[in-house]
Amino acid sequence: MGHEEFESIAALDAIGAATADEASALRSHLSECIPCRRARDQYSEAATMIALSLEPVAPPGEIRERVIATKGRRFNPWWLAVAATLFLALWGWREIGIRVARENDASQRAEIARLRAENMLLAQRSEKLSSEMTGLLSHDTRTIALTGQEVAPAASAKVFLEPNLRRAIVFFHALPANPTDKSYQLWIIRADQPDKPVSAGTFNVSESGDTSITIDNLPVATEIKGLAVTLEPKGGVEQPTNTTFYVAGNA
Amino acid sequence: MLTNTSTTAAALLPAVARGDVSSFETLYDRYSSTIYALLLRILANADDAQEVLQETFMKAWTSAKMFDAVRGSEVAWLISIARSRGIDRLRSKKIRVEREDEAGREISVHSSFVDHTTGAEKAIQSQERTAVRGALAELPDPQRVALELAYFEGLSQSEIAAKLNEPLGTIKTRMQLGMKKLRDRLQAFH
Repeated sequence: MGHEEFESIAALDAIGAATADEASALRSHLSECIPCRRARDQYSEAATMIALSLEPVAPPGEIRERVIATKGRRFNPWWLAVAATLFLALWGWREIGIRVARENDASQRAEIARLRAENMLLAQRSEKLSSEMTGLLSHDTRTIALTGQEVAPAASAKVFLEPNLRRAIVFFHALPANPTDKSYQLWIIRADQPDKPVSAGTFNVSESGDTSITIDNLPVATEIKGLAVTLEPKGGVEQPTNTTFYVAGNA
Repeated sequence: MLTNTSTTAAALLPAVARGDVSSFETLYDRYSSTIYALLLRILANADDAQEVLQETFMKAWTSAKMFDAVRGSEVAWLISIARSRGIDRLRSKKIRVEREDEAGREISVHSSFVDHTTGAEKAIQSQERTAVRGALAELPDPQRVALELAYFEGLSQSEIAAKLNEPLGTIKTRMQLGMKKLRDRLQAFH
């Protein structure tokens, strides 16, 4: 649409005769076109002529009194002060309400997120336990007992080995808590290479002395001669750095 | 801008915007008769016209700071407010039928009504009115009638076309031509 067309719409708009679509397009155009805005103002002024052609009629005198009196109340100081105070109080109260509601809402959302995460964790644990229980009850599962050695005579462990799944679940009991810079490491002693133990993973033990680990993807599902636990640098090592066994046993 | 009392007398709205009651009273005295005549023409009902007249001046009092002298005259600004509110009232009360029933009835002006317009202002307004009427009289009747139906009765293009039993395009062209002539005439006043 060109300027001429917008000017024609402006002529209609000045007397309220532009359609809604025309008026909308014109408003949009006027926001960025100064010449058309000027034309729109000129048409508005021209429309005024239609009203000015009428013979003036004096309104009743009491209308004047009413208009002037009503207007006077607008600047009544105490009225204005009370209204302003009331407004500010209501506004402040509303703002506080909104802020509290927002904080409650954020807090509730955080709590919901935390519970969801906890629920997911519990579901994973439940699934794992269910799977482990199934393994423990299987006919194929072998049991290996590990006994406490000289440094931890009261300690013990029980290994449930599931050859088909290449998985083992080990329950440790009464092991001393490991220092923070060290980890316990479980070693599998293979029958064919007894001098080259294979790591089955590391674990930590707290003051309670009890813990359990699940070993998936056993490096050797068969031909296990025995198992032993040593205390190693934190995170574990490729081969044992010492021969001080905490618990050990033959398959 | 129209050559009327708004340009020959000191501009009042800036003072009204500052809360000057005296200027507001002068504003009322200067323009209330013009506004009231317009509202009577639109509403054809004295009670409605008086209510909208009050609303118009209250709006002027509260929104005077919105007036932009670059965009138009004081009287055009006031007339724009009054017409807009008058047409809204006309539509909301659906008094158009009643208005048609009353067509032809003279709006009587009682002698008790007070006219505060000064003699000088009256003289100027009278000259302006003569000039404006001359400009309107120069319009071909079909153009003038279409403009008046839109301006005083708030009818849309299609309503005017239906009322006059003319094609919509014809009505649109008539109104555009009429408005262009009025604008050209207005510019010739300067």
